[in-house]
Amino acid sequence: MRRFVLFANTALAVALVTVSASGQGARGAAPQPPSTAKARAPFDVTGYWVSMVTEDWRFRMITPPKGDYLGVPLNQEARSIADRWDPAKDEAAGEQCKSYGAANIMRVPARLHITWENDQTLKLETDAGMQTRLFYFGTPQGQGGTWQGISKASWEFDAGFGLPAERFDRGFGTQVRPQGGTMKAVTTRLRPGYLRKNGIPYSAEAVVTEYFDRVTEPNGDVYLVVTMTVEDPMYLSQPYMTSTSFRKQADAARWNPTPCTSR
Amino acid sequence: MTRSHALLMLATIVVAATLAFGQGQAYHPLGIDLAGYWSQFARQQDVGLGTAAGELGDYGGVPISDAGRLSALAWSASRLTLPQHQCVGYVTPYVFYGPGYFRVWEERDPQTQELIAIKMRPYAAMPDRTIWMDGRSHPPAYAQHTWAGFSTGKYEGNILTVYTTHIKKGQFRANGLAQSDQATVVEHFIRHGERMTYFSVVNDPVNLDEPFPKTSNLVHVPNDPNSWTMPCDDGEIIPGQPKDRVDNYLWGQHPFLHEFVDRHKVPLLGALGGPETIYPEFAAKLADTNAADAAAKTRLIPAPGPAQASRAVDPDPHDGEIHVLPVQGNVYMLVGDGGNIAVQAGNEGAMVVDSGAGRLSDKVIAAIRTISNKPIQFVINTSFHPDHIGGNAKLHAAGVDPEANGGNLRTFADAGVGATMLSHLNVLKRISAAGTVAPIPAEGWPTDTYTQGRRRKLHNGEAVEIFYQPNATTDGNSIVHFRRSDVIVTGDIFNSTSYPLIDVRAGGSVRGEIAALNNILDKTVSWRQEGGTMIIPGHGRLSNEWEVTEYRDMMVIIRDRVQAMMSKGATLQQVLAAKVSADYDARFGSNSGPWTTAMFIEAVYTSLKE
Repeated sequence: MRRFVLFANTALAVALVTVSASGQGARGAAPQPPSTAKARAPFDVTGYWVSMVTEDWRFRMITPPKGDYLGVPLNQEARSIADRWDPAKDEAAGEQCKSYGAANIMRVPARLHITWENDQTLKLETDAGMQTRLFYFGTPQGQGGTWQGISKASWEFDAGFGLPAERFDRGFGTQVRPQGGTMKAVTTRLRPGYLRKNGIPYSAEAVVTEYFDRVTEPNGDVYLVVTMTVEDPMYLSQPYMTSTSFRKQADAARWNPTPCTSR
Repeated sequence: MTRSHALLMLATIVVAATLAFGQGQAYHPLGIDLAGYWSQFARQQDVGLGTAAGELGDYGGVPISDAGRLSALAWSASRLTLPQHQCVGYVTPYVFYGPGYFRVWEERDPQTQELIAIKMRPYAAMPDRTIWMDGRSHPPAYAQHTWAGFSTGKYEGNILTVYTTHIKKGQFRANGLAQSDQATVVEHFIRHGERMTYFSVVNDPVNLDEPFPKTSNLVHVPNDPNSWTMPCDDGEIIPGQPKDRVDNYLWGQHPFLHEFVDRHKVPLLGALGGPETIYPEFAAKLADTNAADAAAKTRLIPAPGPAQASRAVDPDPHDGEIHVLPVQGNVYMLVGDGGNIAVQAGNEGAMVVDSGAGRLSDKVIAAIRTISNKPIQFVINTSFHPDHIGGNAKLHAAGVDPEANGGNLRTFADAGVGATMLSHLNVLKRISAAGTVAPIPAEGWPTDTYTQGRRRKLHNGEAVEIFYQPNATTDGNSIVHFRRSDVIVTGDIFNSTSYPLIDVRAGGSVRGEIAALNNILDKTVSWRQEGGTMIIPGHGRLSNEWEVTEYRDMMVIIRDRVQAMMSKGATLQQVLAAKVSADYDARFGSNSGPWTTAMFIEAVYTSLKE
């Protein structure tokens, strides 16, 4: 029994340290965490980036033939819609940008320009299709119903703890603060569009979840890795997962805005 | 305190700690926990590549070099009928792009619990992979390569970043698009909850013109899929197939090249791959179909201009030192003095194969003494070329052959004085040829020669076989097989650094070279072309069956191309202009020095004409 008491007392001490370390105001002198998304950014996502079209190359670099929906978990209704794809009809309706919506824009061969619109909003522009995405870390603006919908963003520092970085700072000191971090974005309220240029549909009910991670290679190349899941109860039988990489560019040298095309 | 009170307190503590740590996840002080089972998710991304293999002629989206493309254009799937090609392993990172599972676990120091390594087991075609997390260095360039390569890793937040070198030649796709043995890979394992994004960047100076970034999507699998083996045993697929047959297509004659482009309506220029195909601007280039088709045609054959020189890393440290690499069993490889030197150690005197260039012989002898406390008893020469016999005199003088100075032999004053020097008779003939200046002092000449196909010895407790390889790079080549250690020393029949130096004037020939390489392959055993019989080449890194196989294939393919042109009456100059080795030059070629690509092609041409 004495051994058990000893163990319990030890555990109590550990708990006190733990609660103290992670508690609010346990160390009153600790600086307040940055209050804006821009200030809390774990990495610099801004600048010019070019997409590396090395996955699903023949579906992305070239408009696939009608009915080529290999790899996309479409339901029967979606297949019948894809089989009726008519780019001329889209052009006539002024809907050339249907494959440039948020559920596919990161798969379009393009260059990106990412800037901070303000302290709480990240802006992502594409030269191909001249699209603009806004990632709101604060309260989203607008009603949606657009190609890019409404994107709610957050920074995640999930190094196995699930703790925000500032709690690491206060509780454990910077030595155990994880490096890196990821940007998570959830996009909803989309205008219906295409998952591929050849008319594979997604609906207004689609939800796009993305993770943005930045890595640096030994040769100095910097990549932005975008991991995306599209869930669409209307047209997809299961989540559709893809990932894409973008290489950091020194400047806007090859930035070439071009309008959407439907073919 | 009662037991129930203690339990209550403990439970409270656990809850408090869980709340404090937010998500209730296990504490993991270094980074993310990847342990468990993972699977490609539902084969969505890149399902157009099938099992990551790709259709014949589908190279789009890979920044391949001209050499990489030409190599793929020559590749015939019939090559897979060859025994050495039937059970090849998957390389890093290819193994992560196909369907299937892999599992991850950690290896920790039992006392300190420091993380030593992360282990991975792909579902198939690769042995367990180790990612060292303890900060150790990568092996030297002359160490062997494996399918997985040698990996070191570090955590970067929610990302495990891994750097891998020493990877065997493998595949970007299984349609002939090859990743060379010079490739290095940086991988990032990025975990987002139950999902993991795998991002690799391959740097391959031979078969890529720029880094090749690529992603794959994996999901955590809660239960053991129990799918960890894929039995494979090579067998005879085409009975009676000649050993010097390696099916390949002459450039411009790939019969299935248009299948992929026709089936999927892909412009040929795009299907042929290359760095431009991975950038957004490429789509616009395809808009002018006539220009694109014209550009595509130029990529089906070697581009005009000078031949490419090797971009491979020189495995020789060139630091004026002799480096000792344990091979296996009783055999060691010594690197640093020209040609590689092999040393077999044991209770008897050291048996040495080749003596290097002779520039660092004192250091060679010192290195041998670190391996064996017995004197050098035998030195075997694999050929008469100076980078293999240069140290003969000094090694001879440093040795003694106790078997030769005992008993009645003592009546001879010099019996057993110095190491016994063995070789095929033709080596002695070449060294001692009348009217020429001997390349080495007479003290280093072979004194114990053989003329038949096989010389044998039982030394240091193992059978040692010396096999004559007629008319390979010379008329006096030998290979040495240490049977128990299972190591073959090839001399210059196999080099990992250059085309074989076929000395036609000294009796070398391309036919003999190919036959010799096949003789080596007849003696090798491996598991999925990994491990098993180790090969010490004349020059370059420690190898095994797979590297010899690739070398044999290369020799057959180049021979076939030269032969095809000669059968149409081509002159040597026309053969040289056709750049028949363009897909291998970036790996083995040279435009300067004692053995250039042009000299090699001339040797092939000349020996085929004889």
